[in-house]
Amino acid sequence: MSLLKLFLIFVKIGAILLGGGYVILPIMINEFSEKRQLVTKEEIINYFALAQSLPGIVAANITMFIGYKLKGKLGAVTAMIGIIFAPFWTIILLASIIGNCIHNQYLQGLLWGVGTAVIALLLLTVREMWQNSKRDLFFYLMFILALIALLIFKLSPVNTVIIFSFVGIFIKIFQKGRT
Amino acid sequence: MNYFILIYEFFKIGLFSFGGGYATIPFLYHLSEVYGWYTLQELKQMIAIASVTPGPVGINVATYAGLKTSGILGSGLATLSEIIPSFILVILISKILKKFHESFIVKSLLETLKPISCAMLLSVSVGLLRPQIFDIKAMILLITLLILSYKSKKDPIFYMVIAGITGIAIKIFL
Repeated sequence: MSLLKLFLIFVKIGAILLGGGYVILPIMINEFSEKRQLVTKEEIINYFALAQSLPGIVAANITMFIGYKLKGKLGAVTAMIGIIFAPFWTIILLASIIGNCIHNQYLQGLLWGVGTAVIALLLLTVREMWQNSKRDLFFYLMFILALIALLIFKLSPVNTVIIFSFVGIFIKIFQKGRT
Repeated sequence: MNYFILIYEFFKIGLFSFGGGYATIPFLYHLSEVYGWYTLQELKQMIAIASVTPGPVGINVATYAGLKTSGILGSGLATLSEIIPSFILVILISKILKKFHESFIVKSLLETLKPISCAMLLSVSVGLLRPQIFDIKAMILLITLLILSYKSKKDPIFYMVIAGITGIAIKIFL
């Protein structure tokens, strides 16, 4: 597979990728395993699991795993530029349209509505993460402490992640040592 | 606008956000508080547009935030800076795939990040809700959407469309 072909496949994936992060998994399996037999389905599922445990955007992580697997470092970069190509220009275009008619009252109504939907979506994401977690004493303890740190002490997200990661890993090592 | 600050801040987002989708929102919320690059109202618009346009939401919202901050160059820089940490990690980890995934430290880290991500997203929701708490119409819409979601799980676009139409209808009829 040439780099250009790889680039074009990822441009296509970026353009049809709509909705939540999990949408990318079936698309990747279809493009790289079923249609072209370049990567096995198991490998893609593994990459996806791994992409979720790395920091950053899950879709970007899996894109680079597959790009790297097929064409090395240059492949990872090519795949990445491919997948953000269509979304990037869509955003630039939409933002300028919205900027030009921001005082239109119907657009104001629309933005008011979707702005409210955003809060609902964030709350739904919290609920989904909550339901997908093993909720033991450790979970509740970390959750409450983090919430206090964020809401009352206004700790920044970066510092929250750093501090709580250390505390969490320390507690886990301590627990393991006792059993 | 200082591009170095922009690059540095989005690099940090790429390095410290875990959990896909909306995981970058708490960081963007924090940036609006610290630098005032965009208002909370604009942040909500950015999230809405990032959710209904193609492409990964986390990337789209970085593109939009960069654009708001410092034009097209800013949107390119913000997007790339957010991805670079992933790039470095993917290259490093591709060599030690299995070992990495089964390591006790990595497992503990992921166990820890779940409750933290929940707390971060909840606190952002509270922050975004605060200016709207006395807007009765918004609260009714929000509660309606949450009730709808209890009936069945829908795509984000579903909520955006319903809420957008409601918003326009209110302008026309009320």
